[in-house]
Amino acid sequence: MSKVSERDVVMIALFAALIAVLGLVPKLTLASGIPITAQTLGIMLCGTVLGAWRGAAAAALFCLLTLLGLPLLAGGRGGLGVLMTPWAGFFVGFPIAAFVTGLVMERMRALPVAAGAAAGSVFGGIVALYVFALAWYMLAKPAGLGEAVTVAALPFIPGDLIKAVLAALVTQALAKARPGALPSRG
Amino acid sequence: MISLTSPVETVFHRWPAGLKLALLCVAGTGLFMLASLAGQLVALALVAAFYTLPGMRFARAGLAALRPVALFAALIAAWHVATGTLAEGAVIVLRLLSAVALANLVTMTTRLADMLAVLHWLTAPLRRIGLNTRPPELAISLVIRFIPVLSEKGAALAESYRARSPRRRAGWRIAAPLAGLALDDADHVAEALRARGGLSEGARK
Amino acid sequence: MSEIRLERAAYGVNGREILCPLTLTLDERRIGVVGRNGSGKSTLARLLAGLIAPTGGAVMVGGDDLFADRKAALARVGILFQNPDHQIIFPTCGEEVSFGLVQQGRNDAEAAARAAMAEIGKAHWWDRPVGTLSGGQRHLLCLVSVLAMAPEWLILDEPFAGLDIPTTRALHARLAALPQRVVMISHDPEALEGFDRVIWLEAGAVAADGPASEVLARFRAAMEGEGDDLTDLAG
Repeated sequence: MSKVSERDVVMIALFAALIAVLGLVPKLTLASGIPITAQTLGIMLCGTVLGAWRGAAAAALFCLLTLLGLPLLAGGRGGLGVLMTPWAGFFVGFPIAAFVTGLVMERMRALPVAAGAAAGSVFGGIVALYVFALAWYMLAKPAGLGEAVTVAALPFIPGDLIKAVLAALVTQALAKARPGALPSRG
Repeated sequence: MISLTSPVETVFHRWPAGLKLALLCVAGTGLFMLASLAGQLVALALVAAFYTLPGMRFARAGLAALRPVALFAALIAAWHVATGTLAEGAVIVLRLLSAVALANLVTMTTRLADMLAVLHWLTAPLRRIGLNTRPPELAISLVIRFIPVLSEKGAALAESYRARSPRRRAGWRIAAPLAGLALDDADHVAEALRARGGLSEGARK
Repeated sequence: MSEIRLERAAYGVNGREILCPLTLTLDERRIGVVGRNGSGKSTLARLLAGLIAPTGGAVMVGGDDLFADRKAALARVGILFQNPDHQIIFPTCGEEVSFGLVQQGRNDAEAAARAAMAEIGKAHWWDRPVGTLSGGQRHLLCLVSVLAMAPEWLILDEPFAGLDIPTTRALHARLAALPQRVVMISHDPEALEGFDRVIWLEAGAVAADGPASEVLARFRAAMEGEGDDLTDLAG
């Protein structure tokens, strides 16, 4: 990692703000009754657009400000209470999700932007995030693997798959509108 | 930027932020270790008393802040009803409510500036070993500054989308242009930051 | 007072030349730079402020290379950008004005910032969130933030874009009274009326350089003579 530049810091801060703003986008409700918001879309975009370490830093900054008491999570939630449910791993794991997403995007340069972004979002935003969050659930509640998967993972997977597709579309649109402007592929 | 701090002044507002955070850690650990149903009931009653102490207006705000937990509590309860482990489920749901309510209490009674001061104090050892904590602190200010700027831009994009589309809501479709604007803004803001000394110059006392 | 010297200073990106090699000495009190969109005006402003390094030649202010020596740059040159939302970094007015002074390493940063705000009668802005300021007020906040750092030169990049007439007049009057030397970039000849010197940039080169009245008259005549089509936007 080279020296941090002004541009890196500003980009990280702006994408942390972007995650928050995407949480304000009106939410859709899936057939399963679980609301999905664009917030995890924001986390995936941090990885696909900014790359691994900048994306993780943006997600971490977002988490930090939420914990300090800003209502940045979808639905205006925030504060330290977020940490206290067994589901907190889905929140604390945001930087890991963004990092893995970005890592896949950076390493799979041979893939077209959309395919790389989709693969990254699935590995980072779903696989990595769920592994971390389920482990957290099992420790924090405490619970067995079967319960964790049933209660904490299955209801949310359809929404997250949709968001991985959206992240790929958005990243591709961005790459088209601003050729050469993706720091993750820079 | 609106924060979750309660406008109702309570006695807890006057406690030092660091003390509140330390107490929250202790209480959280205690709740986690406490396995008896009666004990958890007493704990929850105690937390409820903290909320009613400053008056009903504060208590109602506290209850509203607890609402999102209902979904989680219901999911846990459903699991334990289905598996026939009611006593265990009751302890876990009570613990969840007390822990979230206590954490919310700290958030509701501590100003953002005081939280940031604790953070600055906690990171002091990093500075002592020569790390520069200024870039992340600057980034925190930038996020607070740019959330309203980006949401205004998002609203404008949504409006211009509606003006040229039969759909009523733009939803996720504004994500790409909004991310694009964020990237453009980043270049300009980085330049403005550099024009006034950037990350490394000055600021060393 | 320092003078700005450009010696065959050029700027290009990926082989595309934005500014041709320029050799200029700037030491008048009020200097205007006029030109059409894409003539290289903003690039020149960024070179003068040391925000970008010339890809050829050199830019020196009072003998300092401001791109390399940012510490010196803060004392030499302040720059005001077109869009205040790109310039304001902090959530409250007080933090915004203090920032540059802290960066300069001043121990009395907060007191100096309060004094700078009191001077324009806005002491009560200290805790005000910047989001609640109007467009003109944000411009004013940016101006105070830069002036508080007391630079020798002030570079203004299209400072009046998008402002209404009374606000423009008020800011204009404030700028006219400044002791600083000023370089103002504008596409609007009106804004540069009465300046000591005006430089007209065209496609990255100097098309005219001299007293305001003379250069602006020629610039106006040329712009009136331009066609109405948008072919210039192609490319």
